[in-house]
Amino acid sequence: MKPAPFDYVAADSLDGALEELARGAGDALVLAGGQTLMPLLALRMATPSVLVDINRIPELAGVRRLDGSTRIGAMTRQAQIRVDPVVARHVGPLAMATGFVGHHQTRNRGTLGGSVSLADPAAEYPATSLALGAQIEVRSMAGGVREIDADDFFLGPYTTALEPGEMVTALRYPDWPEGTVFVVDEVAPRPGDFAFVGLVFILAVKGGIVSRSGITWFSMGGKPMRSMQAEATIWGEAVDGVDWAAVAELAVSETDPIDDIHATAHYRRTVGKHLFQRVVATALAKRGAQ
Amino acid sequence: MSRHEITVKVNGEAVSATVEARRTLVDFLREDAGRTGSHAGCEHGVCGACTVMVDGVAVRSCLMLAVQADGAEVTTVEGLADETGKLHPVQQVLREEHGLQCGFCTPGVVMTLAALTAQQPPPSEEMLRDALSGHLCRCTGYQGMLRAARRLARGDIGKATA
Amino acid sequence: MSVETSAPGAAARFVGQRIPRKEDRRLLTGRGTYVDDVTAPGMLYVAFVRSPIAKGRIRSIDATAARALPGVRAVLTAEELKALPIKYFLVFGVPGQPLPDYAPLVADRVAQVGDPVAMVIGDSRYVAEDGAALVEVDYDPEQPVVTIEDAREGPLVHPRLGTNLAAASQPADDPEMDAIFARADHVVTHTVRHQRQVQSPMETRGILANPLGSGELVVHVACQSPAQAARYLAMLFGIPDHHVRVIAKDVGGAFGLKVQLGREEIGVVAASLLLRKPLKWIEDRLENLTAGFQAREHDMTVRLALSKSGDILAADVDYEINLGAWPQMIDGGELATMMLPGPYRWGRQRQRARSYYSNTCGLAAYRGPWMMESLVRETMVEVAARAVGMDPIAFRRRNLITGADQPFAMATGPVLDRVTPLETMELALEAIDVAAFRVEQAKARAEGRYLGLGLSVYVEPTTISIGGVMSSETAQVRVEPTGKVTAILSTHSQGHGTATTMAQVVADQLGVDVEDVTVLEDDSSRSGFGAGAGGSRQAVAGGGAARRAAAQVERKIKVIAGYLLNANPEHLRIEHGVIRVEGEPEVTSSVAAIAATAYLEPDRMPPDMELGLEAQSRYRPEIPFVFSNAAHACIVEVDVATGVVKIRRWVASEDCGVMINPSVVEGQIAGGVVQGIGGVLLEHAAYDAQGNPRAATFKDYLMPSALDVPEIEYRHLITPSITEGGFKGVGEGGAIIGPPALVNAIHDALAPLGFSCFDLPLSPPRLLAAIEAAEASKQVAGAP
Repeated sequence: MKPAPFDYVAADSLDGALEELARGAGDALVLAGGQTLMPLLALRMATPSVLVDINRIPELAGVRRLDGSTRIGAMTRQAQIRVDPVVARHVGPLAMATGFVGHHQTRNRGTLGGSVSLADPAAEYPATSLALGAQIEVRSMAGGVREIDADDFFLGPYTTALEPGEMVTALRYPDWPEGTVFVVDEVAPRPGDFAFVGLVFILAVKGGIVSRSGITWFSMGGKPMRSMQAEATIWGEAVDGVDWAAVAELAVSETDPIDDIHATAHYRRTVGKHLFQRVVATALAKRGAQ
Repeated sequence: MSRHEITVKVNGEAVSATVEARRTLVDFLREDAGRTGSHAGCEHGVCGACTVMVDGVAVRSCLMLAVQADGAEVTTVEGLADETGKLHPVQQVLREEHGLQCGFCTPGVVMTLAALTAQQPPPSEEMLRDALSGHLCRCTGYQGMLRAARRLARGDIGKATA
Repeated sequence: MSVETSAPGAAARFVGQRIPRKEDRRLLTGRGTYVDDVTAPGMLYVAFVRSPIAKGRIRSIDATAARALPGVRAVLTAEELKALPIKYFLVFGVPGQPLPDYAPLVADRVAQVGDPVAMVIGDSRYVAEDGAALVEVDYDPEQPVVTIEDAREGPLVHPRLGTNLAAASQPADDPEMDAIFARADHVVTHTVRHQRQVQSPMETRGILANPLGSGELVVHVACQSPAQAARYLAMLFGIPDHHVRVIAKDVGGAFGLKVQLGREEIGVVAASLLLRKPLKWIEDRLENLTAGFQAREHDMTVRLALSKSGDILAADVDYEINLGAWPQMIDGGELATMMLPGPYRWGRQRQRARSYYSNTCGLAAYRGPWMMESLVRETMVEVAARAVGMDPIAFRRRNLITGADQPFAMATGPVLDRVTPLETMELALEAIDVAAFRVEQAKARAEGRYLGLGLSVYVEPTTISIGGVMSSETAQVRVEPTGKVTAILSTHSQGHGTATTMAQVVADQLGVDVEDVTVLEDDSSRSGFGAGAGGSRQAVAGGGAARRAAAQVERKIKVIAGYLLNANPEHLRIEHGVIRVEGEPEVTSSVAAIAATAYLEPDRMPPDMELGLEAQSRYRPEIPFVFSNAAHACIVEVDVATGVVKIRRWVASEDCGVMINPSVVEGQIAGGVVQGIGGVLLEHAAYDAQGNPRAATFKDYLMPSALDVPEIEYRHLITPSITEGGFKGVGEGGAIIGPPALVNAIHDALAPLGFSCFDLPLSPPRLLAAIEAAEASKQVAGAP
């Protein structure tokens, strides 16, 4: 299982990396943590002509507070996200999601940007970023910098809104209100595996009324699935009066799971409803404990 | 296909080679650096047998390119026992707890446990068990490894329980 | 936690001890020598071109572009390999048995996805794979047969054979048996379907074949016996025995996969001889999971005739197995049906079996290949007990043989003696505390949680020595002039620990320290004919040979020492290598001193005695099967909302006779149990309707991890066998008796839901579907 031949460039600056991507004309791939790209190369499922390594660009990693949001560089390692105090305080769901991402050893190398760019429908970071309302900062040599709303970024299996020559450089997570509770949970065959079904649930309550929520799924469709109708249903409702069973039905109805070697769509929907109720109970308990 | 001249410090010794871009770190370590202790059990980053330390951090060397390790310090399982041949505490405890049979997955397990137990604060048993879940073993049913993890978390390097 | 009952007698100092393994130091420090660690000057690397379709005719192969690629040295097809005739046969084949046209490379028809069609030889594995990607093969695809159902009626996998049946057996008419069934108070039918698995040791297959010129061949290969591999290659290629040398110092697990060289290994040897170059091939994980050998796809249906008081009157057995296209051996279900009665009073049995070819990977042995017998019997006992209105434990107590019944002839022939199935069961039940569990279970059910207890009991036919390559093992024990001991055995470890266990046996016999005994078993040029690993045989057959050879040497030491010390050899004791005379504490000698005399001082030796201290013994056990036995009990919790199973406790209560090293014994049990857990809950080498393997990587082929396993508790009984040393085999057992304990536990947990599913794996989606089906049929039946 050896990769097909490719050229390799270790970019030492962001501009250098973008230049290589532009030159690669769509046949260049970015090498970030490598935890998902390297297996694809080994299986010859990816055969780029150029690999642009961005591991030696220090400005691409790091967690920074901006006014009202947190900016996490694309090359920030998953291991760091798991323990970073700024992330814990302001982007809690991402820290929690990290516990489900791969294993300890893969988190030492794997990155936020890599996971988001790959857009594996079973991945935790895309779904969590979607639920949080992240803005994805993208750069290219030709187009400069732009921010893409997470709602517009994930288009399908392994398909994002990235144009040729573009690269994710950071994710920016606007703050949620004080007192927001969240749970990320999944049902998987073994710890660290791709989930059968996974859920990100974020709830902001103001004066007993649901002021905002983020309900997204992973492994429940060709991309992270956002249950917008479910979010709309509970918005403005008294949190203690919500019929969560009905919301679970609605939320799952907005997903599009498939049959694959691990589970059927029917299983995913059934367990999805159960997972939703379990997650909500945990989130409400957290709220009660505040 | 590009070729690169690299120098990697392997267990403290500089190893230089000219490598194809696509050459994996595990192949470099085994063949160019002659350290066959790290094993390629799957070449897609799941089994953990290839685990080494790169700049102090446990990584799967089948998921890194050799060229990415240029200038880095790599520790393989051969680099753990001291010059007199005395086993590293992780190796010692695994032996006492009958934590290996065929030995193929063992170097990876040793490196993960060694990397974690070198950290401050010292890892809990739960952290060690969680890290062990990133290693596949077909022989032992993990029993001895889990006993070793318990002893390592307790700092109990003195006596065997198996 | 481990408890032993009934220690062996006498002065055993190393046998019975948990000696840390001698090989561990080497393996822990990364100084193992597996086949991929070996190189030869000028070595080239092999990659295979493999069929992307499951069935079809090869129209053409164009290797022009591949051959032109810099770094590719040769591309070989079946055509080129014709230059070296091979007399293909199977190690465990039966003479006269019709077989498909095995060949290292497929000539005109592919019969599985992954069939090797060409070999690319290059300067590195990297460039060899580049070359393989450039070989153009044109196929005429045909519709494959994938399942047993397909194979029954579908097109022929191997047209020349005229049938998809590799083997079939039918019982004779038996009106008496029919009458038993007609009269019986209860007739219960039970079917278990076992999915296909992959052995998947952490080291894949691999070989380095090095032709040294003048017809000599040195081969490093991942195998289960260097002697067998060498013999096999010599016979295949018509090379004189002593011109083939196989070396296998460390092998990373095998479990039956590596007992017979596959087509690729043979192809690499052929290519190395043709090209006169050392060639290395290491199977990668994709090949290992999808193109090599696989395991365990079989179904068994048993009809059991029962009296109303719960006696098992008769069994009617139907067994089917999907052998794939190129099986390692033709398994006709002989052992699976023979062992089905297990340690039960079983009445009569008749069986029929059918083994099918299909367009999938060929099956090879996998730890306890006959394990369906215990899986079906032990799950069936639960069903049968309920039919008769008995508690399954009471049912077992009624029907399991006791000491008083032995020797006991099973309904199918073999004789059980010195086995303790009932005793191990009682020990397991006591350890797990059934009464306390039932209280906990009831409380949990009231809270909506589902705990279950599962039990299984079996006997294991270890060390089968009826004939063929497994008839015997040999040991040569030699005290060197220095006094250190060398033991050269025909055993072989792929994790078994024989470098330590055999040293323990020899050390005990000689009275030296285990550190002073070195076991050599890695080289066919010195090991002697033997089967090595397989069939849970090495403790008995290897240990027996080692014991006898060491006993001869010990006798000679004592005769020489007695002569030199002017003492009766019967009054000499050897301990830690020091020789003492009973009643004369000032008179001592040492094994080292005697050895020096024996080799270097002929004039001091007893007259007419051959110099040296070395002996060889070949041992065949006195009985054709050495039966060990065990009972396992486990507790699970099933999450009925997700179908996820958590194993809470596991008790292995076993009797494998005298244990050489209890840690090694427990390690073998644990390894087998966890493989069994993988088989019940996680692993599935599935195929789609076109014969494409669907689990191509470890992301899809899921094996148990450290967080999926319980902390196994052990109870040991020691009922010595009558064979040398009192040892019995134990290596395969966990994988045979583990699965039914787990399946039973899941069914016990979900009994209130009317759950029933014996279609493995019991993955979360399957469990959930079966739970839903049970609920639906309850509603249809109008049950509350």
